[in-house]
Amino acid sequence: MTMLRVRDLTVRFGGIVALDKVSLDLNRGEILGLIGPNGAGKTTLFNCISGVVRPDTGSIYFDTHSLTYAPVHERARLGVARTFQNLQLWGSMTVEENLIVPMDALGKRNTFSDALYLPFSGFAERASQERARAILHVLDLDRYARTIAGDLPAGIQRRVELARALAMRPRLVLLDEPAAGLDAQETAHLAEVLHAVRQRFHVSMLLVDHDMSLVMRVCDYVYVLDFGKMLARGEPSAIRNDPKVIAAYLGEESKKLTGEVQTVATAKRDERPLLEVSKLAAGYGGLEVIRDINLTVRPGEVVACIGANGAGKTTTLRAISGMIHPRAGRVMFAGKDVTGSTAERISKRGLIHIPEGRGLFPNLSVEDTLRLVSNTAGREVDISPAFKLFPKLRERRNQLVGTLSGGEQQMVALARAILSDPRLVMIDEMSQGLAPTVVRQLFEIIRVFRDEGIAVLLVEQFVESALDVADRAYVFEHGTIGLSGPAVELRSDRKLVAGSYLGTAVDAAAIASANGNGHRVDPALMEIVSVRVPAKVKRALEQRAETENRPAGAVVVELLEKVDHQ
Amino acid sequence: MTSRLMFRVLGALVAFTVLARIPVGFDVGFKFDAALAVIWAFGLLSLVLLTGYVGQISLCQATFAGVGAYTAGMMVSSLHVDYLVAVIAGVVVAFALGVIVGLPALRLRGITLAIVTLGIALVFDRYIFQDHAFEWFTGGTAGWRVGQATMFGVRMDSSAHLMAAYLVLLALFCLVALLLVNLHESGAGRRFRAIRDSELAAATMGVNLTRYKLLAFGMSAAIAGMGGAFYPLVAGSVSPQPFWLFTSLQFAAIAVLMGVRYVPAAALGGAFMAFVPDVLTRYGHGTFMGHAYEISYDWFQIAVGVLLIVQLITLPDGVWGDLRSRVHHAWSAVGAVGGRKVKVA
Repeated sequence: MTMLRVRDLTVRFGGIVALDKVSLDLNRGEILGLIGPNGAGKTTLFNCISGVVRPDTGSIYFDTHSLTYAPVHERARLGVARTFQNLQLWGSMTVEENLIVPMDALGKRNTFSDALYLPFSGFAERASQERARAILHVLDLDRYARTIAGDLPAGIQRRVELARALAMRPRLVLLDEPAAGLDAQETAHLAEVLHAVRQRFHVSMLLVDHDMSLVMRVCDYVYVLDFGKMLARGEPSAIRNDPKVIAAYLGEESKKLTGEVQTVATAKRDERPLLEVSKLAAGYGGLEVIRDINLTVRPGEVVACIGANGAGKTTTLRAISGMIHPRAGRVMFAGKDVTGSTAERISKRGLIHIPEGRGLFPNLSVEDTLRLVSNTAGREVDISPAFKLFPKLRERRNQLVGTLSGGEQQMVALARAILSDPRLVMIDEMSQGLAPTVVRQLFEIIRVFRDEGIAVLLVEQFVESALDVADRAYVFEHGTIGLSGPAVELRSDRKLVAGSYLGTAVDAAAIASANGNGHRVDPALMEIVSVRVPAKVKRALEQRAETENRPAGAVVVELLEKVDHQ
Repeated sequence: MTSRLMFRVLGALVAFTVLARIPVGFDVGFKFDAALAVIWAFGLLSLVLLTGYVGQISLCQATFAGVGAYTAGMMVSSLHVDYLVAVIAGVVVAFALGVIVGLPALRLRGITLAIVTLGIALVFDRYIFQDHAFEWFTGGTAGWRVGQATMFGVRMDSSAHLMAAYLVLLALFCLVALLLVNLHESGAGRRFRAIRDSELAAATMGVNLTRYKLLAFGMSAAIAGMGGAFYPLVAGSVSPQPFWLFTSLQFAAIAVLMGVRYVPAAALGGAFMAFVPDVLTRYGHGTFMGHAYEISYDWFQIAVGVLLIVQLITLPDGVWGDLRSRVHHAWSAVGAVGGRKVKVA
């Protein structure tokens, strides 16, 4: 029985097609997952369904009601509730009040009778309170009923958001990245809560998340979006092994041989590190996004930070460059302690941060943008080297930066960085929103950086390309570094990395080593993976191993090889 | 719940009786200040609702009060109605204007909304209150003179019966203040606060933003207009000067200074706005150590600015808000020592 029907939905923002004829069906009682890499259009689709974004063409039906252009509060009346990725609780109210608002916003109550405290309002009030208590009880939030919502830790606030959505007596709950900012254990707990909620409140759910472990654990069916198109759909187990999906998440598998990439000479390795980060922790508001980050970059080295979205890569860069204040730990740059120093002071020392979205001024011409470097550096800088490196920019020197293509804009950002004579350039999501061919060109430029002796710290979604160009890499997971090593090794062990993205059943590798059947397993990997795999998968593996009468590890490794071959 | 309500009603009654006694025995000048204080307190109360509860910014509250004042003045002077009818008319017109001003607020927020409301205040100040085209509404340059007015058959006008007007004003203020405190805790109040904390979440949880924002602007304008409607009665005439742009800005500044989320802060601010300038002009001149000095009204404006800066640093929740929470702390400490919990509304 189809409850939510999305047909041929198209959304354009300016010239960009965010959604291209996407269709989706959600059945009653189902928990539907919607996944995809960054910029795939998940959030756009979600916002169309919840009414924040209006589609250009296409239709959305909820039962027999058209939701396509219905106002936001009207959707609530029909029984569509949602939660927010960036917690939107009413922070100055108590948890209980947070639940009562949606309850009586839907019942018709009169402002004036409320102000006068007429008996009718009093009865309605008490009824709402009782229902709020009941919901809080189910979600194990009783003791917070009278707490001011804004004072709660983020993990609890997420649960309150869910409770508030349920207070509307919805039939469909839209969950926007409910696992964002939660650690592995909290994510596991959330999965249990979601199952309990479905059983108890008879709601269907649409879940958008980057955290594959959650999606795999709770969803009955998964849709995968990529570049605004529906890439694949199926049951979680099928999706997990779908080579198209793996490629979308990790980038195209590189066809280059591993030997081709030259790494920094070993002599350099013994040099003192240029950047040394130890035990760094940072976050926003009540959220601690990263903790215990240790990483080093040596002079002239290219280091990649990879990992799923929300793992803390961007936050790490921001904490290093002084855009946000670290909460703990130390950042040493070129032998000086720069922890908590201001961004502009750090950049003067030769650490340039190219933020996500490139941080350019759209209304300046290319030439002016580059000339600006000389002003900030306090001396006149010859901008011709930039044009030598990027001949294309010379042709467009008088064009406004905002009118350039994404790839060209990234070139301007890189050119600007190189003009300020940096010792280390940190690039956040260089390839975001760019076509693969452009991405390849840009990665060539990273090599140029290395040839010039400039160290590079890259944050990348496209693992393959990043590992191609990098000397070493750190794999981020849930706010810490889960794995690190030379890029060559990580690349050859593709499934390790895949595990960190897709929550693949690599964990069985842990079982394998436990059984001592001789398969070499990296202990660091075991650790990552053991928290990642759903109990169900684990049980299935063990069962299969038992029937086939061989160690579980062997089964797993065989399965993984199959995945790899596909 | 009901005990809380009783507590509030009691509080309002006590406030009324105490405040009603205060101007007795003072000269007419101070009696006028007292009545003016309540009028300004209405203006500040309108901001408690609009900014404190709903989180909308408005820099044209004095315009709403002015519209109430002119409507009431016109009704009494040219139509010779009972003053009660004039007040009701003033409130209704202000409510309507509030809803109209609320329309841009459906799309705008923050600084843009502030600019738009500032523009509205400017337009009314320059082109309606002071323009010949609207003489039928403003009574021309001389304004409306309200020599004689009756309410409930009782004479109340500026010179002789100022106390009667003051009492009616004060009673109305206590009533509206009580309703606003009730509203804060009620369902509608929660929906208002939900809009303040997160509009997006409020809309997705079924709160009709259009309806509640317009309602908030309308109610707020009506409250300001109610105070303004008494102005002709208290001052004897209406002129554009009390309702010019600067008064609107002063409303905003003093509301923040006193605590924009608290109803009693409005009373405090009203008294501050009415008495301090008068006291300054009355006693602010003389000789000090051989030097003649004179503190004029300008000093009041400077003082407000300085106080606002000091308050934002030391008492971020406003004078009333922070004192209140300090008393709460002290009180609960006392309660803990005494072994019993006392609840303060």
